[in-house]
Amino acid sequence: MVKGIVEFLNYWYFRYLLVTELYMVEKWERVMFHIVLLIILSILSLFNTTVVVSLVSPITQSLFIQSDLQEGIPGVRGEL
Amino acid sequence: METRMEEGAGDTVTELLNGVDFENNTHQKGISNGYGPYSGTLTNGYTCINKKNGYTRGRRQNGHVLASSDEECTSKTMKGPIKNGYVKAASEEPLPKTRIIKESFEPPTLLTAALTHISFYILMFLGYLSQALFPPKVAKEKNRDGYSPLFDKFSSFYSMYVYRRIRDCWNYPICSVPGNEVVLKDRVTRDNGWTFEFTGSKTKCINLASYNYLGFAEKSGPCAEAAIDSIYKYGVTTGGTRQQYGTCDLHVELEKLTAEFLGVEDAITFGMGFATNALNIPTLLSPGCLVISDEKNHASLILGIRLPGATVKVFKHNDVQHLEEILRENIYKGQPNQPKGAYKPWKKILIVVEGVYSMEGTIVRLPEIIALKKKYKAYLYLDEAHSIGAMGKHGRGIVDYFGCDPKEIDILMGTFTKSFGSAGGYIAGTKELISFLRKNSFASKHAWAMAPPVAAQIIAVLKILMGKDGTNEGQKRIETLARNTRYFRKKIEQMGIIIHGNDDSPVVPILVYLYSKIAAMVRILIQEKIATVGVGYPATPLMEGRIRICLSAAHTKEQLDYALQVIEKVANELGLKYSRKPINSEPIEYDKIKVYED
Ligand SMILES: Cc1ncc(COP(=O)(O)O)c(C=O)c1O
Repeated sequence: MVKGIVEFLNYWYFRYLLVTELYMVEKWERVMFHIVLLIILSILSLFNTTVVVSLVSPITQSLFIQSDLQEGIPGVRGEL
Repeated sequence: METRMEEGAGDTVTELLNGVDFENNTHQKGISNGYGPYSGTLTNGYTCINKKNGYTRGRRQNGHVLASSDEECTSKTMKGPIKNGYVKAASEEPLPKTRIIKESFEPPTLLTAALTHISFYILMFLGYLSQALFPPKVAKEKNRDGYSPLFDKFSSFYSMYVYRRIRDCWNYPICSVPGNEVVLKDRVTRDNGWTFEFTGSKTKCINLASYNYLGFAEKSGPCAEAAIDSIYKYGVTTGGTRQQYGTCDLHVELEKLTAEFLGVEDAITFGMGFATNALNIPTLLSPGCLVISDEKNHASLILGIRLPGATVKVFKHNDVQHLEEILRENIYKGQPNQPKGAYKPWKKILIVVEGVYSMEGTIVRLPEIIALKKKYKAYLYLDEAHSIGAMGKHGRGIVDYFGCDPKEIDILMGTFTKSFGSAGGYIAGTKELISFLRKNSFASKHAWAMAPPVAAQIIAVLKILMGKDGTNEGQKRIETLARNTRYFRKKIEQMGIIIHGNDDSPVVPILVYLYSKIAAMVRILIQEKIATVGVGYPATPLMEGRIRICLSAAHTKEQLDYALQVIEKVANELGLKYSRKPINSEPIEYDKIKVYED
């Protein structure tokens, strides 16, 4: 069972290496690429959680509050 | 405009374009609306070509050139008379037979293309990074300050950081005759492709890599005997050029036989195929001539075209319409750089095409091009390097395949390497052309004549192909090659692997797109004892890496079956089944495949 999963993961890791051309580069280059990729991804998610969320939250908040209001007032909704 | 067209051309083109209509009800719709029977949905288009006026109306449908999986549209059903158009020329001659061009060009899906691009950038990025961090330990010249670099920077980067990584898939030394099997000398690399060491062992592989269409690369048999006998008589050198004392009776016999084989007046032979192109085209051209060349032409043709300083235009691969546009446009404009308003017609116009394209596996649309060439009074140069011997019912190349008249092609060129198991090239045509080349060609003036054993091998092969040896060995080989080709191509298509080219072309490029997949596939196949050639960027477009398989008459069905089975396994493993064409899962029987029965 475990062996099966390991095999499955190994195989798809191999396929991943193939389509990214990492199959043919040296091992340290592969590691280097993954480190760079991880750094880029984590910076991106950091940026998302801080800057983007703080920019977007006022907008979404106002949206939600409006819709809350609309649901709160019976009769108005039909006319809209 | 009309007067200008007359300089290089005949009538206007619309007449030609209107000309085709086929009396074939099943496919008429498909042809005339320009889309195949799978109109709009699938990756197939369809065309039938009539040899006389040779014009297709429906052409491309979202990038797929004219593919078909339809068997029933045989030449018999296509023989109907032409209804309208192209009357003048056509009415004088009997209507010739037709041949259907079945060619497939399935483009990659958007996703595959995008991934291929992204991964190429990853590769470049890592290459530059690695070059910057660890400068390569290659020899550097000292005391060269202020010199501009001798080599192109990108190409040396490319060879060190792309090609070097998978260099073990190329330049395999062999240690046997490259017949249907070949013995490879094993080697290992301990530093990622910078250097190699021989292990001393050897591997015997099925040979799907060598160009040996008719299987005449042999070390025994009548051809080898003939070559050996000639060494006893003449030695291996001729001792001079053809114009000095280099001509021996073998050359005279070879040229006579070649001309007879091709059905033309005369032929001249040279010691090297590449030089035949590169050194003879310049003899025929001068500045002020117009050359129109297919974009996939071989390096030797390109070199030959560039040398004389003629104006060169390139047309899209096998796209006759584009060729015609270029012809019309340039005939109209005339020679460039004339004083204002002046019009100077071209000295001559030469169209340069190949018979079978070795990297694409496509076949030239010869009947259409002959029609065009006549229309515009241009000369036609046909390079049959890959088709002579391999194509056509009698092995006489693409001309034979389409049943055209060899005299309609002004310059017939070919090589003796691929089908004849020898070396050298020929040019065949009218007596005047050949006499002119004999006097003026660089290759007959300054290059040594073909070595006698090489000539003897070719003569022996030609005799076999023409049936002069009293057996039907030649015909048997031609048919075996055709059958092997059809069988192999159909089987591969059934697997859902994308292959390019014509159904009848013995070169089968399997599209794998990525360098890694080229490398992985070649490595696994060699482990499984199958030798193939991977082809990447400089030889193909950047995103179209491929594995090229060359079929031969020497392959047995068992060998092909083994190869197919391994290829299927590898294709599953590496994810090569890109094709989204519908798969025809009818079983294919080797013995029942029809070849050249029209
Ligand atoms: C189309 C074409 N022309 C010419 C040549 C050169 O012929 P050779 O290899 O005999 O010198 C080749 C060789 O691959 C070729 O493919």
